Amino acid sequence: MDLGDDFKVSSKGKRKSYEVDYDSLSQSAVEKSMRDDAEHIRGILGVENDTAKLLLRHSEWNKEKLIESYMDTPTKVLVTAGIILPEVDPQSTPTPIRTQTSNSSSSRRPTRSTSKLLSSLSSGSRSSKSSSSSPTNHYSPPKVSKLSKSDEPFVCPICFDDDPKLRTMALSCDHSFCSNCWTNYLASKIRDEGEHYLRCMAEGCALVVPDGFIQSVLIPEPGAPIGDPAEEAENAKVWARFQELLVRHFVGCNPNLKFCPYPSCTNTVSCPSAASKLSLTTLVPIVSCGARGIGGQTLSQSQQSLGLQGKEHLFCFGCPIESDHRPVVCPVAKMWLKKCRDDSETANWIKSNTKECTNCQSTIEKNGGCNHMTCKKCKHEFCWVCMGPWSEHGTAWYSCNRYDEKAGQEARDSQSRSRASLERYLHYYNRWANHEQSAKLSVDLYAKTEKKMEEMQITSALTWIEVQFMKKAVEEVEKCRRTLKWTYAMAYYLAKGNEKELFEDNQRDLEKAVEDLSEILESPIEPENIPNIRQQVTNKTVYVQKRNEIVLEDTANGFLDGRWKWNATVDGFDDPDPSAIAL
Amino acid sequence: MSGICRLRLAEERKQWRKDHPFGFYAKPTKSDDGSMNLMEWEVGIPGKNNTAWEGGLFKLSMIFPEDYPSKPPKCKFVPPLFHPNVYPSGTVCLSILDEEKSWKPAITIKQIVLGIQDLLDDPNVNDPAQSDAYTMFKYDRAAYEKRIRSQARENVSK
Repeated sequence: MDLGDDFKVSSKGKRKSYEVDYDSLSQSAVEKSMRDDAEHIRGILGVENDTAKLLLRHSEWNKEKLIESYMDTPTKVLVTAGIILPEVDPQSTPTPIRTQTSNSSSSRRPTRSTSKLLSSLSSGSRSSKSSSSSPTNHYSPPKVSKLSKSDEPFVCPICFDDDPKLRTMALSCDHSFCSNCWTNYLASKIRDEGEHYLRCMAEGCALVVPDGFIQSVLIPEPGAPIGDPAEEAENAKVWARFQELLVRHFVGCNPNLKFCPYPSCTNTVSCPSAASKLSLTTLVPIVSCGARGIGGQTLSQSQQSLGLQGKEHLFCFGCPIESDHRPVVCPVAKMWLKKCRDDSETANWIKSNTKECTNCQSTIEKNGGCNHMTCKKCKHEFCWVCMGPWSEHGTAWYSCNRYDEKAGQEARDSQSRSRASLERYLHYYNRWANHEQSAKLSVDLYAKTEKKMEEMQITSALTWIEVQFMKKAVEEVEKCRRTLKWTYAMAYYLAKGNEKELFEDNQRDLEKAVEDLSEILESPIEPENIPNIRQQVTNKTVYVQKRNEIVLEDTANGFLDGRWKWNATVDGFDDPDPSAIAL
Repeated sequence: MSGICRLRLAEERKQWRKDHPFGFYAKPTKSDDGSMNLMEWEVGIPGKNNTAWEGGLFKLSMIFPEDYPSKPPKCKFVPPLFHPNVYPSGTVCLSILDEEKSWKPAITIKQIVLGIQDLLDDPNVNDPAQSDAYTMFKYDRAAYEKRIRSQARENVSK
């Protein structure tokens, strides 16, 4: 941690070319900017706070568009956002259920009468809505209506409870239900479906439940009779989840923001410089939300296991790859991962199980029988072992012992040429996969290193702080392996030429340095050579760090200058030179 | 939660016995021990008159989840029905039966069965659930009608 801090301080002064500017925001910070937006809209449109929030959510937080459309047709906007009821019956309910009228006469008489009781009220408010032409005063916010006990007993149309003490609630559509049913419905929508745009429970009713209503359902008012504590805790959790869903929606609507992808982390990162797709061709926006660990476990626990537990929440702002893919830009990283997913196993299988016909280059699998092959496609006859034409096998049929004959040699040459593209891919893939594997093994290396560090403290006069060089070295190795891994993806797509050669020189230097350092770290430690090892490791670590820096910085600068040319079509870049296209 | 579920289903049962649309039936199934299983109903939906579905009575099983009425029941034709919006398994694809679309806790069993009856003669081509019926409905309407008529004849009420 101490060393980590040192590193951070030194990097804070000047941003490196492979780093991006970003801010980490907590959930409450995001909520504050949501409140500010709502306040802004409330002021401009002169609507209630809850209405402003619903309008913003409905317009995906696009304030300009919302203000414009609201100024044009306020009623239409309010109706489509589910804040007021349409004036006439909705003609746009696509559900094949057309039975409202037929059933209203029959069942649930008690309910009907309750709503009849309310109908004078509702029709009054509705007519005032339709008559008024001014956009501001026709809207009355949905309220919690506590029905006073009337002559007709209320029966909740959902649970059929008719307890006279039942607390009932309705939105401005006056579809009343008991508070229990509201709680169950809202909780199941929020918890199970992750929904934040919740509609009235009545069939076909498009009215949306405002935040204030949800809060009053889930969170008991102060002074209210104390209910079941377990239930209240559960409801409080649902309310918190609802808040989080709102934040997620807000973040999802804003291209400058991205939610931290680590499990149960609620932080958000703001990175305006990487918001456009175009910017992703010039920079690799690797960001961190600032938190460490998974789900509440923070650094204190990570002291024991230095592995993944205490890992920083590092992710790419520009693409869904949840790791640092520097130095390669998002579109190339994406292409590479897709290719690996699609091709690797197939390519390996083709390589080990098939050969190409020397005449027509069809890929052939030998599935049994003798070495006398006849190509299904071009009928060319050849020997599976030496790949030479069968006619030259003469009397030595079925036993091929003529490896160095000229014809066979030529056939094998052509074979290897046609294999070149496959081999090329596997060359890069195997190295990529190797570094990935090694980086994974670094967790083990961490554990081993820790043990060594303890040993060193015992066997030598070194103090805790003095053996930290081991830990630092392991961290550096892991970081560099991550860089190296992605340099292979980059190199695979780089067009041949000077630039690529320079890139691969840098890659080679880094790889050599990393492997050297790895070797020292893995080697056994004897008490007498500890000072020596310490010297070596410290030197190598600094060197490796420098080489890594060079690779990252040079590649990043290359992207900024538009120096890198590809051998394939990459999203967002110019098409490659025809001569550069790889096989 | 399950308290509401059973209470509501018992009430639905009561309302249905009091009054239900003509030609339909809906009743809870019997468990092996003879007791009534409120969580699974057996429903019969008649085809509308003056349509190709006329005369048929189509058997449907309605399975209620524990969190009904927060969640809709699963409606499944037994045997599966030849219809563009019925999955090969028999499950009905209808917006009011989808909790993420138009399902609302206030929708009653009666509204569901009437909704499904409406769907029979008025399939939704934008949401096909089986390819056989969908392709025939779309490209060979005459053959489709014929097939529906014969299906209705195979499913007369006894």
